[in-house]
Amino acid sequence: MDFPILSLLILIPLIGAILTLFMGGSRQKSAKYVAAVFSAITLVLAVFVLFNNSEFASMAESCEWIKTDFITISFSLAIDGLSVLMVFLTALLVFLVVVFSAEAEEVETDRPNYYHTLLLAMEVGLMGVYTASDYFLFYIMWEVTLIPMYFMISWYGGPRRHYAAIKFFIYTHVASLVMLIGIFAMGFHAAELTGGAVDFSFASIADAMHGANEGFQALVFALLFFGFAVKMPAVPFHTWLPDAHTEAPTGGSVLLAGVMLKMGSYGIIRICLEALPAGAEYWQWVIIVIGLVSIVYGAYACIAQKDLKKMVAFSSISHMGMVMLGIGCLSDAGITFAIFQMFAHGLITAILFMVCGMTGHKVGTREIPLLGGLAGRMPIYATFMMFAFMASLGLPGLVGFWGEFPVIFAFYEFIVANDMLWLLLFCMLSLMLTAGYYLWAMQRTLFGPETTKIDLSHVHDVNKTEFAAMAVLCVLVAFFGMWPDAALQFIEPYTDGLIAMLGVI
Amino acid sequence: MIEYTWLIPFVPMLCFVLIGIFGQKTPEKGGYIAIAGAAVSFVLSALIAYEYLTGADYPNAVVDSICWFHIGDLQLNLGYYVDGLTCMMMLFSSFISTLIFIYSVGYMGDQGGRKKRYYAEVSMFLSGMLGLIVSSNFLEMFIFWEVMGLCSYLLIGFWSFRHPEGDAASANAASAAKKAFLVTRFGDVCLMGGLFVLLGAFGSLDFVDLFNPAKISAVNPDTLTLGMLLCFGGVIGKSAQFPLHDWLPDAMAGPTTVSSLIHAATMVKAGVYLVARGFPLFVQNPDVMLFVGLIGGFTAFFTATMALNNMNIKRVLAYSTLSQLGYMILSLGAGGYLFAIGMDSGNAALMAAGTAGFIAGCFHMMNHAFFKALLFMCSGSVIHAVGTEDMRLMGGLRKQMPITSITMLLGSLSIAGFPFFSGFWSKDLVIEAAFEAGDHNILFMVMWVLAIVTAFMTAFYMFRMWFMTFAGEKGKNTLHAAEHGHGESPKSMTMPLCILAVFAVASGFLIMFGLDGMLSFTQLASGAFQVGGGHTEGFEYFTELFTNPYTYLTIVLALVGIFIAYLMYVKRSINPGSFNRNGESILYKILTKRWGFPDLYNQLSWKLGYGVARGVDYIDRQVVDGTVNGLSGAVVGGGEAVSKAQTGDVHDYSSIVLLGIAVLSVLFIVIAKIMGGI
Repeated sequence: MDFPILSLLILIPLIGAILTLFMGGSRQKSAKYVAAVFSAITLVLAVFVLFNNSEFASMAESCEWIKTDFITISFSLAIDGLSVLMVFLTALLVFLVVVFSAEAEEVETDRPNYYHTLLLAMEVGLMGVYTASDYFLFYIMWEVTLIPMYFMISWYGGPRRHYAAIKFFIYTHVASLVMLIGIFAMGFHAAELTGGAVDFSFASIADAMHGANEGFQALVFALLFFGFAVKMPAVPFHTWLPDAHTEAPTGGSVLLAGVMLKMGSYGIIRICLEALPAGAEYWQWVIIVIGLVSIVYGAYACIAQKDLKKMVAFSSISHMGMVMLGIGCLSDAGITFAIFQMFAHGLITAILFMVCGMTGHKVGTREIPLLGGLAGRMPIYATFMMFAFMASLGLPGLVGFWGEFPVIFAFYEFIVANDMLWLLLFCMLSLMLTAGYYLWAMQRTLFGPETTKIDLSHVHDVNKTEFAAMAVLCVLVAFFGMWPDAALQFIEPYTDGLIAMLGVI
Repeated sequence: MIEYTWLIPFVPMLCFVLIGIFGQKTPEKGGYIAIAGAAVSFVLSALIAYEYLTGADYPNAVVDSICWFHIGDLQLNLGYYVDGLTCMMMLFSSFISTLIFIYSVGYMGDQGGRKKRYYAEVSMFLSGMLGLIVSSNFLEMFIFWEVMGLCSYLLIGFWSFRHPEGDAASANAASAAKKAFLVTRFGDVCLMGGLFVLLGAFGSLDFVDLFNPAKISAVNPDTLTLGMLLCFGGVIGKSAQFPLHDWLPDAMAGPTTVSSLIHAATMVKAGVYLVARGFPLFVQNPDVMLFVGLIGGFTAFFTATMALNNMNIKRVLAYSTLSQLGYMILSLGAGGYLFAIGMDSGNAALMAAGTAGFIAGCFHMMNHAFFKALLFMCSGSVIHAVGTEDMRLMGGLRKQMPITSITMLLGSLSIAGFPFFSGFWSKDLVIEAAFEAGDHNILFMVMWVLAIVTAFMTAFYMFRMWFMTFAGEKGKNTLHAAEHGHGESPKSMTMPLCILAVFAVASGFLIMFGLDGMLSFTQLASGAFQVGGGHTEGFEYFTELFTNPYTYLTIVLALVGIFIAYLMYVKRSINPGSFNRNGESILYKILTKRWGFPDLYNQLSWKLGYGVARGVDYIDRQVVDGTVNGLSGAVVGGGEAVSKAQTGDVHDYSSIVLLGIAVLSVLFIVIAKIMGGI
């Protein structure tokens, strides 16, 4: 690569964010066009990276940032099969959110330029997290994603937005501090083992850590895992998520569920598994149990929810549990399809939150008991909702199925090897529950007699920009569902390497 | 030609897309596209079946597949698998669907813009069924299996909003659609479990690998048994066997053409097909086949009881479908049982008897498709004219609707097993299979008795339905229809009826013209399994049936059933009300309540689903979230913190965060020292 494409992935949204920040006053209305252009350029770059997957190695960049006798921190970026899908997903979702909310009222009325600034700032952080190959940079970027999301919720959110924003901030911030301790521990211990300066690059720490004893690996693994599990979120560290989602604006929810949650599972694979394989083996059962509990617990909680968006938020917990379960199998199939599930869930959940957000600001409420018979008045909306629900419950032929079936199969192989076949019952129960809450929700919101509890006379169907954003996602969901290899071709080389490494250690 | 087998499901799927995009602009809102697609599939099926059956490969299965993707080291494929069974299935499925689509032009004619959605969905439905039939592996089959589940959900719920008959009807349709999806989903989840077991044991889901005797013998028999039982769970859901049968009567909330599709050409046949397709695996354990047979036999009897006193014309037909599906499963179970014990003991005669059971089950599936499609479309024609489904309001329609009444009579005779009609041949073979198996296991003897009783009940309730609808005094809605000049249905509706009537009468004779050869399931000397290639016995069936005394028993019982129905509903010499003792009869109430199954499902889902969910939700808010809020409160120093947390002041929290870091760092160092890490 002749030009620093990964840096551009971070830089372009940053420029966009700064530009929109100063587009106050009379220029507020045009902020969305600026945001659209900058996120579109980022998306084009991300697609370019995606199609040049043979040149991943040459795309890596590194320059020294802070160097003393004692410590080395570098601004280094890299990309591989694990991160490229997340980079693509981030660029795609930010662009689609800008398109989706182009005509949304909440954005029209309330400081639209800041809304777009926050979106682009989040993109900066997310791109940084997914491409960083230095712990220090990784951590900084991790924190960068946090702040725009905090303001996104507390400025553009629902009635309890301040509570939700603070809860989100503190919860995830405490988690990332625990993670930071883990990172420092690794850095200093690595320096101790190699006898050199503290070097925070991924590669040098991973190399050193493979030589660390199991006790240390297990301990640091626990610290890092806690930080990531909160982000995913895994039961019982999940309670910030439903509140954050209920209050966040649609665009914020889409990014939060679509790509920010994946930071957690990305971190587990990128850091916990790559650097601390002995720790992973030490905690394998814990990971599996947390995954299983998240799946079933999340699915059950969904059934009881009255707010459509809160239901979808809990379904994210359940589906991210599937990612955790796949990772916990520590097998080729498990990890490959856990990564696939991250990607699949990102696509599907984006449509889900767009649909739920639309329910909120078109119908006026998201309370399921108040809704009913919307399909007659909003047929296109109903079609999208049905499509998203079906994709999310794992209908074969759509992308969600391939994040589910192979992961459970990997888990099946694991429990057969450990002679605990009965654990499969939990997976089957969760599949049943998932179908249950989605179907029940559809019955109560879309079908049956039209509701008389709220006034539907002013309700309009999907507008053009909303349609465009969701249609793109639906096409991708169907495309990757029918041709999963399109995504697997990136993941498989990565997991092959990872498994080989896990096997050696 | 055979390499184009993939086109058979592809064409209707393409129609789905085309109708979705252009449907609104074409005449009949895409109806003609759907008909053309189904017809093309039928022609392709016919050409491919002809080429295969007359080709050099016959009776070996013709298989081709491409690699789709990998799960770990395991390869998953997409492909087609053509043998005698595939040929029969795709022929009758696409043929009947074509007729149903033609009929829809008349039946759904007044539905306006909704027709586009209807035709798009039925095309996808057909594509799902045809895809399932030609699949070359279980995973591919499962995908189409689920596509059909989705389509049935959409179509049963076709009127789930803005129902022409009002709000209650649309709520009912919405609930029926959900029930159909969830109950079959329960089976599907079992099937998925079965696929995990098979994939884990064989390392492949391709039929070529699964049906390979060398590979089968390498698998732990217990694992295989578990896998097949789980797969059969999927069959119980999809083919509506006891105890997951209760979604099918509710599914009547959809348009009648949809019922016709679900019951005759697609959906419920998929489960039976799965048993037939997976026969080489099912016969590995006689106990699995015993279980299959018992479920089938009991379903046949149990569900027929509920048709005895039902007043809804479509519901009666729905129960009759359940009962006939039970026959098919019973036959496959009995045949498989015989085949399995024959294989164990090396007894060729037993294996041949097992083959006969297999043929009977598949044969009945095809015959049932013809007469059930006919019966549903006739009932649709009646409903179209009188505007009700309640048979008490019909009556005396014979003169007003001559074509419908005659074709429905032929269909009823067929399903009742009247001699020489198609249902007669296959039903007798089914009952014979159960009888044969009864020689080796007393439980099958019980099933045989149930099957005989069911034959009697079938004849009774079918003719009860026919008499109540077409004979006797003119009912309220009949008179009303006559006033408004609602007579016979339009040609697009009666033409398919007449065509199907021919098949409902005569398709049974196909068994004498080589169909049994096409369907014969055998194990070759090499150990490999094969469907097709058996020799045609032709007239032997005729002599064999009519020299068997039990054949006369079933004929007599069927005739008695028809006669009693005649006495009760035409002659009125037996008062039907006397069985109900003025609404006091407990049995009558139980039957009306469908043996309590709807309540059971509701209670289970309410308690195990919503009840637990409420508990989880409570724990989530009070315990898990409560702990978090309590902890944050404790750190800051009591109740003030909580109120501050809601003011949104970040500055106060930075101090907590710093405090947190300090505490955690100390903790970390202590733990690290203890563990000796640093």
